[in-house]
Amino acid sequence: MIEAFLLAMRQLQTKKVRTLLILLGISVGVAAVVGVTSLGEGIRVNAVEEIEKSHDLTLIEVSPGVSNGNIILITESKVRAVREYGSVVAPYVKDAYVTPNKTYFEVNGISAEYMDAKNLQLEAGMWLEEGTYQIVLGSDIGEKFSKIEGVEIGNAIDARIRLYGEEGRAIDKDITFMIAGRLKPTGTDTDDQAFIDMNIARELTGKDVYDGIMVKLDKSGQAPAVRTAIEKLGLTCYSAQDEIDSVNKIMNAVTLVLAFFSSISLIVGGLMIINTMIVSVYERTHEIGITKAIGASESDIIRLFLSECIIIGVLGGILGDLLGVIFSILIDTVGRPMLIAQLGIADFEHLTVINIQILAAGFLISLVISVIAGIYPAWRGAKLDPVKALRQL
Amino acid sequence: MWMVETQGLSKYYTFGSGNQVVALNDVNLTVESGEFVSIMGPSGSGKSTLLNIVGCLDKPTSGDVYIDDAKIDYGNAGSLVQLHRQTMGFVFQGFNLISTMNAMENVWYPMYFNKVPKPERKKRAEELLESVGLRDRALHLPSELSGGEQQRVAIARSLANHPRLILADEPTGNIDSRTGKMIIDLMKKLNKEQGITFIVTTHDKAMANNADRVITITDGEIVD
Ligand SMILES: Nc1ncnc2c1ncn2[C@@H]1O[C@H](COP(=O)(O)OP(=O)(O)OP(=O)(O)O)[C@@H](O)[C@H]1O
Ligand SMILES: [Mg+2]
Repeated sequence: MIEAFLLAMRQLQTKKVRTLLILLGISVGVAAVVGVTSLGEGIRVNAVEEIEKSHDLTLIEVSPGVSNGNIILITESKVRAVREYGSVVAPYVKDAYVTPNKTYFEVNGISAEYMDAKNLQLEAGMWLEEGTYQIVLGSDIGEKFSKIEGVEIGNAIDARIRLYGEEGRAIDKDITFMIAGRLKPTGTDTDDQAFIDMNIARELTGKDVYDGIMVKLDKSGQAPAVRTAIEKLGLTCYSAQDEIDSVNKIMNAVTLVLAFFSSISLIVGGLMIINTMIVSVYERTHEIGITKAIGASESDIIRLFLSECIIIGVLGGILGDLLGVIFSILIDTVGRPMLIAQLGIADFEHLTVINIQILAAGFLISLVISVIAGIYPAWRGAKLDPVKALRQL
Repeated sequence: MWMVETQGLSKYYTFGSGNQVVALNDVNLTVESGEFVSIMGPSGSGKSTLLNIVGCLDKPTSGDVYIDDAKIDYGNAGSLVQLHRQTMGFVFQGFNLISTMNAMENVWYPMYFNKVPKPERKKRAEELLESVGLRDRALHLPSELSGGEQQRVAIARSLANHPRLILADEPTGNIDSRTGKMIIDLMKKLNKEQGITFIVTTHDKAMANNADRVITITDGEIVD
């Protein structure tokens, strides 16, 4: 087999310019695919990194589940079951309140565990004391209150909650909270939420179930297993991994489509190979006749031509990967500053990412296309009638 | 035992218009092992056709060919390849060699297809080039050799796999008579010393004079 390649190499050397042109054709196609894929991959990696930066991957947010149209509530026994899995398990309730000035805000009734699980940090004031009507505000809602309601830490704030009685009759309840503290901004939902003691919240609403559970894990690696366990209880889970998964899914699809369109240039490369090989078979007709007479079988002839194609495929793959890397660096150096300037987005490290899979795919595409393109010409060579071939000079 | 025997061998070419060219008509021929047979005849008489059919490069329209008393099955490509590899060697009129390979490589090429180990191949190729007096031209490309030298390389190549039958189609056709004489002598020598059977088509009187037997063929028929 090695000798077949050496012989094929010899053939390619005798038509250097032609070989070089095919190599260029196929490798430009590979480079386009590699470059585009690296761009897709780069965007994906950046998006995932962005999510990982702003989200806690060790946190699972559990909410009531739905099964066959029935809502599965988070009861005490469910909470007990969930406690098996997390290092911190914090059930909470969630209600909407409104101020006399018609500012609606979300109030979570929480325990100290919740603060741990979500890693809430105070910016000013103090944490709420259990069993009191103290309230801690998220940073945005805190700001709103000080602007609209004119209340600061240490002030009281009136709020009303609407509850529904037995017959669906609305009952409004008025409460006065004492603002105990304000949280640091987090860039998440927390900024728009206020927090009170869970027992007080449940007393106010008369709820005997929870609206959610925060489950904090020691390691993010545990997340998938814990999720499935909790989902088995009939509850719904959400974690940042969901967003990463959907980003991955979308970006993979986008990259695939882009790669598909850029691979059209590979068809041109493939046609170039078919054309060149057919010409080569035609030029070597007499030689093929002799080769058959001295004992080459049809498969020997096919092997001779396919060896040439394999060499073209390998060289085209290597060259294509190299060009692809250059192409990708080009996109990065030109495209990244432009994107940052145009979109005004925060600086990020790389717009394109090259990994071994992309390079391997580029190489394989070149090899596969070269071999497929060689099959028909090789078959034609093998099927040549030796007598006719020998007559032709 | 016959090296080659043909029975009722015919080859027709039929054209769309219904016209038929008879290239060979009922040829019965026997060639003994070790014989040097020369086939003569006017152009278009069917010499090459006969040689190509015996050499399993072409199929007869009807009739049979026996080599070593075994009937050739023209439908069995594998068995034909084996005959090319092991039993017979070819020398053609001109442009016999692969132009991208040097003399040495041309000689080892049949051994490559016959799966002879590489070192052995090289050794035999050297010996064969030596025996045709071209040891020192081993690394030259065909384009760097004269017509006669090319034919000698072709003869060396035809011997590569120790064939017992060599089929040569006008081996002296493209070269001057003095060089032609050298080629004839070389083939005669191989025939005498190694007992290789030769079937040689030719227009060359010198070749015919050196043959054990001359067969004359006209319009596809043997005329003695
Ligand atoms: N493929 C073909 N189609 C039609 N006719 C053919 C074909 N091949 C050979 N012939 C005819 O068969 C006859 C014998 O041809 P062949 O080549 O055997 O002659 P030859 O004796 O070798 O001639 P030369 O001395 O010129 O080489 C010729 O009339 C030729 O025209
Ligand atoms: Mg002829």
